[in-house]
Amino acid sequence: MDPAVARVLVESTVKIALFFFVVLTVIAYMTWVERRVSAWIQDRRGPNRVGPFGLLQPLADGIKFLFKESIVPPHVYRPVYLLAPALIFIPSMVTLSVVPIGPAVSLFGWNIALQVADVDNGILVILAFASMGVYGIALAGWSSQNKYSLMGGLRSSAQLISYELAMGITVVGVLMVTGSLRLNDIVTHQIEHGWNVLYQLPGFLIFLTAAFAETNRLPFDLPEAETELVAGYHTEYSGMRFSMFYMAEYANMITGSALAATLYFGGYHVPGLHALGLSEPLAAAVQVLAFCSKVAFFLFVFVWVRWTLPRFRYDQLMNLGWKALLPISLLHLLWVSFLVLTGRG
Amino acid sequence: MTERDVVIRLLLGLIVVVFAFAVIRALAPARTVLAGAALAAGAVALVALNPAALANVEFWAGLVGFAAILSALMIVIHPNPMVSVLFLIVNLFCVALFYLILNAQFLAAIQIIIYAGAIMVLFLFVVMLLNLKAEEGLTARGGGPQRIGAVILGGLFAGLLFDAIRDRGPQPYFEPGSFASGFGTARELGGLLFTRYLFAFEAASLLLIAAMIGAVILAKRRLR
Repeated sequence: MDPAVARVLVESTVKIALFFFVVLTVIAYMTWVERRVSAWIQDRRGPNRVGPFGLLQPLADGIKFLFKESIVPPHVYRPVYLLAPALIFIPSMVTLSVVPIGPAVSLFGWNIALQVADVDNGILVILAFASMGVYGIALAGWSSQNKYSLMGGLRSSAQLISYELAMGITVVGVLMVTGSLRLNDIVTHQIEHGWNVLYQLPGFLIFLTAAFAETNRLPFDLPEAETELVAGYHTEYSGMRFSMFYMAEYANMITGSALAATLYFGGYHVPGLHALGLSEPLAAAVQVLAFCSKVAFFLFVFVWVRWTLPRFRYDQLMNLGWKALLPISLLHLLWVSFLVLTGRG
Repeated sequence: MTERDVVIRLLLGLIVVVFAFAVIRALAPARTVLAGAALAAGAVALVALNPAALANVEFWAGLVGFAAILSALMIVIHPNPMVSVLFLIVNLFCVALFYLILNAQFLAAIQIIIYAGAIMVLFLFVVMLLNLKAEEGLTARGGGPQRIGAVILGGLFAGLLFDAIRDRGPQPYFEPGSFASGFGTARELGGLLFTRYLFAFEAASLLLIAAMIGAVILAKRRLR
């Protein structure tokens, strides 16, 4: 085999394996963070029995889910019922794989890009796979053959479609100032001209709101509103399949946070890092750490908002999406194009 | 072909294989192990026979073509309309992969966003809300004239296919390295759309707007 191809194969395999390991670990520990932070907000203690500060709780939960009986109710449409949890999980992982977590570094004589796939159409890949997430939820709801599940699935599809529009239009604003669909170019542009959030604050706020809706979290968790729909689209799931839905929710949160950091907060950029005069590997490590802390901040915001705000009513949700966010995002796009035309973007 | 292209194609090929496995597993859970073993054995045999095939565009084109034909057949054959919709989505993904193989990466992404992401969700909605049961009546046979017509048309189509394939020979349909740099990127395509084909592009957008307004008015007329 061609050595160049072999090199690429080895490099990508290692990256994918590492990527999965890191993301799954972060997902596990996000459940712990969520419970501890919610306890802190509500003046409780939270999980603190398993290991120091309850740090081994995710491990215990994982083992519990694996050994629980996984019941497939007799009335479900089995093939789709079994496929749905995977369909909900895969898109968020694919989306995350195009996000750069640091600059390219030279290691062992290799020039390694710190992202799984450096795609020219990065933004389009993100939009494409973000719109795939709806299938998992809609199909889980339909195949369960249960009216609450179906309602949850339908609500979620309507919600995802409505908020995708506003999200896509705000992202166009970022594209216009960068002039490229590649995420690396977007980060480089921000390094040279300052973070996008400074110029497009309304765009960022719309993006964040849409990201909350896309992850189906409070205040947008209508698809699983337990007071109306039992548990929505995952009512009929149990054991590891049930936990797949939870893992997908956290994976979506990580994706949303990573995108917010990359598109609006300079990605791995640390202002004033050049002045310190660090060696290349050390500087790269600092930048990766900076990216991780930006993502961690947004993850915290996700948890913070969930335990602070009450749930919307369904008509309020639709009104916000179509009558507020969509027009505002269009106006914002007009404003950004005006800035770009007059050379002030 | 650059290294990045190889990686992207490998990743997408892998997604197709994983998805095919998931579909087989879902449709015939009892034969999961068998299907997995067959897929793995096939993949290992292919790679062992010709390791360079992994970097060969035509190998991936063949794989995607196989998946496309299989999913297209399943759309028609499967009695459950919901499963047909799912296979249509798989089929649309295969078309996107074809675009990618032909270096039209922008078109590939748009294919997924528009067809798989938007239009098929609508299809899914409709089928879900109609709550169609598995159609048993679809296997009913037509009368004699219908059968004779089917045989004649099928024969004609087979002849056409045979004629199309016969003279092909082993030469490739395209040279993988023959594309100009930048071919198929958003920049290139956007440049063409807004200079050379500006009139057609704007006319199409006007047509779409008119269709949209028309649809809304037709749907709302009864409410008044």
